[in-house]
Amino acid sequence: MIDPILLGHNQFFGVNHLKASTGNAKHAYFSEIQRIMDVIEFSFDHGVKAMMMSTHDRAIDVADAIVKNPKLKDDLGIYLLLPYAAKYVRMANEKGIVNIITDALGGTSLKDKLGMVARGGMGVLRKDFKKILVTLIDFEMAQFNKLNLKSVFLHDVLTDLILGWNALDALEIFAAHVQEKYSAIPAFCTKNLPKLMQGLNQIGLENPLIMASVNKIGYQVNPSLDAFERCLHENQLRLLAMSTLAAGYLRPKEAYEYLFKLPNIASVVVGVSNTKHAVETFDEIRFRMRERDGVTA
Amino acid sequence: MNVAVVGVGKMGMLHAGIMNGFDDVNLCGMCDASKFLLGFAKNLTQVNAYTDYRKMLDKEKPDALLITTPVFLHIPMALECVERGLPFFLEKPLSLKGEESEELVQRIDERNLVTMVGYMMRYSETFARAKQVIDSGALGEIITFSSTIYVAQLFKTGKGWRYSKEKSGGGVVMGQATHLIDLLGWYFGRVNYVSGHTRAYYSEEVEDFAHVHFEFENGTTGWMDSTWSKRHHRLLEISIEINAKNGNLTVNDDELKFFLDSPAGGYDDGWTIINKPDLFEGVEFDIGGPHFSRQDRAFVDAVKSNRQVESNVKNAQAVQKIVDAIYHSAEHHGEPIKI
Repeated sequence: MIDPILLGHNQFFGVNHLKASTGNAKHAYFSEIQRIMDVIEFSFDHGVKAMMMSTHDRAIDVADAIVKNPKLKDDLGIYLLLPYAAKYVRMANEKGIVNIITDALGGTSLKDKLGMVARGGMGVLRKDFKKILVTLIDFEMAQFNKLNLKSVFLHDVLTDLILGWNALDALEIFAAHVQEKYSAIPAFCTKNLPKLMQGLNQIGLENPLIMASVNKIGYQVNPSLDAFERCLHENQLRLLAMSTLAAGYLRPKEAYEYLFKLPNIASVVVGVSNTKHAVETFDEIRFRMRERDGVTA
Repeated sequence: MNVAVVGVGKMGMLHAGIMNGFDDVNLCGMCDASKFLLGFAKNLTQVNAYTDYRKMLDKEKPDALLITTPVFLHIPMALECVERGLPFFLEKPLSLKGEESEELVQRIDERNLVTMVGYMMRYSETFARAKQVIDSGALGEIITFSSTIYVAQLFKTGKGWRYSKEKSGGGVVMGQATHLIDLLGWYFGRVNYVSGHTRAYYSEEVEDFAHVHFEFENGTTGWMDSTWSKRHHRLLEISIEINAKNGNLTVNDDELKFFLDSPAGGYDDGWTIINKPDLFEGVEFDIGGPHFSRQDRAFVDAVKSNRQVESNVKNAQAVQKIVDAIYHSAEHHGEPIKI
């Protein structure tokens, strides 16, 4: 069962889809982990018992604090998003992609194989590459293992790169590994929902859990709001809706009135940094969900 | 349309992935010196892999080549494309030095070959809209500007070709500030003089900080401050502020706002504030941001219709000559250098 409302994580890590300056300011404010924990506990107490968490360096401290908190430890569901892409873009600029991968695998039993890969490259067997992929996933997951993991999302940059290169096997490898090793629901974040659905249908992944931006002004919705809505109508999927307030452009009432008229909306991720607005947003989502499901209060 | 890519690093993966995601483009070949990356990609995709790009071009016969290799390889690869009459997209910056590209520019002109260099900020909504406002004449005479380009990337000695002067040609000015220099040229025209000051702190061979003063042919003057070692800037952030006779304008990646003393160029007096969501339009396939998709679409359409784009090799050469002058000036304590 997917939690209907998830606490978003972007504000904690300086991500803001409207203004980088706001993101940077919030990043400074939330440099005290206790301030993040206050928001998590506040949301938990108001019935939001799940959160998104990217594998940002700061998230490691948050994960530690959650594990130490008896109230949250077993009952806060974590939807992990990996990898924290901006970190790797910077690392790629700093030392190149090959160095990132070899450094990440450096301490593992794959190290010898890597030497072979670097020397022989093209001749190395397919199963070795599969091993490298899952080892990279494990490397990124290592700090977050102790949490109550409900789902693991592949970051949109990777999902969409894989789609662009038509390397659909990688999606399959990711999904199988998350399910087998972590008993979590494999999921994908994307900026290209119609194309992802095409790909997942091709590899036969049924009723997938997908996170994507959707809002009535079509902000950050590709290829168009029309095509996105059509895709929701024509496919079987569980959408975890993000950017539902269009980065603060829409009021909760108009935003959720629109959202819950769409089919296949399983859940909404909400960014909270101000507790007063948070309650208003949670209540509005619950009201619109009940309305959709025909439940009277 | 068939495209091939040489250099399967971060930018090669991005551009080749975006174009292959377009319905009318097929990625037919990839080439890289790293057998590791190539082997990885070969095991996961159906794209034919090569270690020699000439062999790839002979065999695959693509309609265009994406050159996303380290800078020192750009010119020889571009010349090979010209020789074959093959349109190409080249990741910025163009070359280690401006003068290296003289022959290339001349031969491209002779053949009227379609080229594009990856100055993608022109395809970012806010900066593109700012260009429209400037070109409308609403601001009146542009007097001065101040501008910054910052990212939190490097706080220790970097590894790899970007930090080797021989392979990259320079540091933050070459690698990142060229995006801003390209925008400034797009907005204000030809540069007359620059004077630059640079500082290396984390890097051994290249500059990590730069401050540059510009004088444009149209009389506009202003400065640019740049570093890749600015804490608390998660993403590459560009900001430009313009002071003009009829008002002022500020543009960054997120918003464009301007104030006019009196109505002009089809705009009202007072403040006009435009946010990114006001300008957003979905793209056919997005990896890493819609500006990359719009840029790649512009390239594909230009190749198909055999039409030149503004952001071509010739334009990139102008940027490169400014970079040369900045480095020259910085070596002489900021002495003004004529372009």
